[in-house]
Amino acid sequence: MGTHEFNNRIEAQRTILKVVNTQAWETEQLISLSRNAIDRWVRANRLDADECLVRLLLDASAGLFFLANRSQEQVSDEYVIKSHRIADICREIENELTATRWRVCS
Amino acid sequence: MLALVDGKDTRFDPNLFSIYSYKRLSELWALGNPFAWHLSLESRLVFASDDVDFINRLGMPSPYRNCVNDCAKFYSLFLEARESLMRDKRSMVFDLSTIFLSIRNLATCYSLGISGRPDFSRHSAIRLPNGAAVQISPDAYATIERARILTIRGCGDPIQETDADRIVPELKIIERWMIDLVERAKLHGHT
Repeated sequence: MGTHEFNNRIEAQRTILKVVNTQAWETEQLISLSRNAIDRWVRANRLDADECLVRLLLDASAGLFFLANRSQEQVSDEYVIKSHRIADICREIENELTATRWRVCS
Repeated sequence: MLALVDGKDTRFDPNLFSIYSYKRLSELWALGNPFAWHLSLESRLVFASDDVDFINRLGMPSPYRNCVNDCAKFYSLFLEARESLMRDKRSMVFDLSTIFLSIRNLATCYSLGISGRPDFSRHSAIRLPNGAAVQISPDAYATIERARILTIRGCGDPIQETDADRIVPELKIIERWMIDLVERAKLHGHT
């Protein structure tokens, strides 16, 4: 089993958290991509659970869960696709935060 | 709570259950993975729709031979979390949580591979025998444990930057402890 896959998943999560927390949130930072932590952050900052940003975070959360529990046989197309998808989600989150700031400022 | 499934199964909420396929669990058994040992030694069947105790049928996992590599992996995880924590505070709670995870997992792997007394508990790092336990302050330990619970369960009082600042002097102690355990594992002849 890939020794560094575990560490890579932690690093992917950290990267997303740093992107999200570049913005100053009203009450609390996002502290992890577990479902419970996302729910807490949504409630604490009175966000709309249907917001694009929240949906992207839940997507990333589900993707990381998939990668953590995949069978060795799945170290294949689906694994690679999911890994790339998480990197894409990170970029989408960055875009979403930038767009939201732009809307607020205009 | 662990749920074993055969392919996609929507009955189990992944936020409430650790969900593994039978195939994946069999792979972990063959690898002698610490999680397999944990299940083998300490789990018990609550319910099986076919009345078959799958884990019991697997027997004992393969010998655990990856101790040094696993300990090195968790040492590396600690270094990455520390570097992130010292760089900025945008993932502060997550980094403290990861430090707790790295300490606990390294201690668990060491206890399974070297000490002969496997300890899969959350507090394995402070319970290692023969002077191998991590010697950090109870206050620092409680803070990183709280961070771990916050990131997994989303419950507990928030952690402030002043809390994190009190951990910083302990990071050197943790690093020395980790290096020592990795060296002990190497001397023990594991890979």
